[in-house]
Amino acid sequence: MPPRDGEGAAPGRPEITEKLRLAGASKRFTVRGGELEALRPTDLTVWQREFVALVGPSGCGKSTILNLAAGLLRPSEGAVFYDGQRLTTINRAVGYMTQKDTLLPWRSAADNIRIALELKCRAVPRAEAAAQVARMIELIGLRGFEHHFPAELSGGMRKRVALARTLIYEPETLLMDEPFGALDAQLKLLLLDQLQTLTTLRRMTVVFVTHDLGEAITLADRVVVFSARPGRIRAIRDIGLARPRDVFKVRFTAEFARLHEELWDELKDEVVKGTDV
Amino acid sequence: MSEVLMLPDETPRPLMRFVATASGRLTARLAVVGGLLAAWQFLPGKGLRFWMSAPLDIGMRLWTWLLDGSLWDHLGATVSAMASGYAIGVATGVALGLLFGFLPMVHRVLSPYITALYAMPKIALAPLFIIVFGIGIASKVALVAITVFFLVLNTTLDGVRNVDRDLIQALGVMGATRLEVIGKILLPAALPWIFTGMRISVRYAFTNTLLAELIASNRGIGYLIEYYSGIFDSTGTYAAILVLVIMSVGLTEALTWVERAMARGRGRA
Repeated sequence: MPPRDGEGAAPGRPEITEKLRLAGASKRFTVRGGELEALRPTDLTVWQREFVALVGPSGCGKSTILNLAAGLLRPSEGAVFYDGQRLTTINRAVGYMTQKDTLLPWRSAADNIRIALELKCRAVPRAEAAAQVARMIELIGLRGFEHHFPAELSGGMRKRVALARTLIYEPETLLMDEPFGALDAQLKLLLLDQLQTLTTLRRMTVVFVTHDLGEAITLADRVVVFSARPGRIRAIRDIGLARPRDVFKVRFTAEFARLHEELWDELKDEVVKGTDV
Repeated sequence: MSEVLMLPDETPRPLMRFVATASGRLTARLAVVGGLLAAWQFLPGKGLRFWMSAPLDIGMRLWTWLLDGSLWDHLGATVSAMASGYAIGVATGVALGLLFGFLPMVHRVLSPYITALYAMPKIALAPLFIIVFGIGIASKVALVAITVFFLVLNTTLDGVRNVDRDLIQALGVMGATRLEVIGKILLPAALPWIFTGMRISVRYAFTNTLLAELIASNRGIGYLIEYYSGIFDSTGTYAAILVLVIMSVGLTEALTWVERAMARGRGRA
């Protein structure tokens, strides 16, 4: 397991390097003249190829952390580092799958998936891009829906398109904000399984925001529990479940039950507090 | 849907049934026009004739214009002034609208002036343009261009303002340049608004071309109307107005056709 604190390469594990680090980063927003503290000064390090899940009640600053990591927001205090470099502009090394699927309504599923490959910074030749899109559609189970427009797809299908669009350009780090929140349980498990396979295959670092503790334990190397607003880290647990994990069965193991109970103890007070607000 | 709406127990009269069919409707319409033309041709006495002319004289005059080619000359002047002014106005309006969409600070600084100029009836500028550009086609092009420019600029800005900011951020994280964001998000998202502006401004372009020609010109349909009414030649005036009516109908039909084609395109998307 990667260590929880310390800087740079972890001692004795030279291959494990720091990917993303929040150093006393906080965020305050001005809302209707009043100040809203979304995130208390927070320290958090995400290691290369690590899968970190952030859980906590609504409005606890989880999404703010992703926006900071993507460079879409500047911290009010402290700093955010990516690959040891302080972030001052949009972080183009990450793929960001937001809560809302930001598909372009005038493009078909296949054209939406292809968009990152069209950009000059990648300049993938047409034929090559088409082949990659076809492979991705196959992989994510969208065959037969390539030419459908987002408005013609179900919520689950749109999530898959958004995931495919983010994965296709193989960003080294994936930021995901409750990507499968609104889906039914069966479909969610199916997509979690696909996500696990793909991120392992492509050796990605993942920061995954969710309010579903089971989902977090199923996927993550480490689960970070946040307190209710203003958000701060309340607990961090390593998830020692062996990999690869069977997302359909892992939740019935004793180890999973123990972790779930332990983390739920941390989370439940916060959920109660969160709903009071 | 050519069913006649009727009350129960009422049998449709043969004439009503005839008019309800497509060919019947056309016949009825032609009959109305024919009746009016006949009345116009035969009813007025000698005194009224000077002001009213007569359909056959007007037709003869149009025929003469067609034969000596002067009709095409004037029609061409009006159409080319309108078309080139329209093209310039649309191109500059869309370009500046997209640019402002990307530089909101610049837009915020300039917006009161844009609003003021947008609200002003552009026809008031016609005399100024005639001083600057002369009575030829250039002054008409300038007036049409500035009219269309403000209409298209405003609808483009509305479109750009309605673009979902999250889409832009998503593309930004993927590594898109500013130009790519404009080409792949701003332009396609604003396209329905831009088309609306283009559709509305066709009629304004037509009206303002004509008004500018009426004010001062040496060619064009507006010039013909102004010239013949100036020499109290009612036949020439009516003939020119008839050309204008035919132009308007053609323009409206073309617009309707384009709108239908676009609605079909959107239905597919």
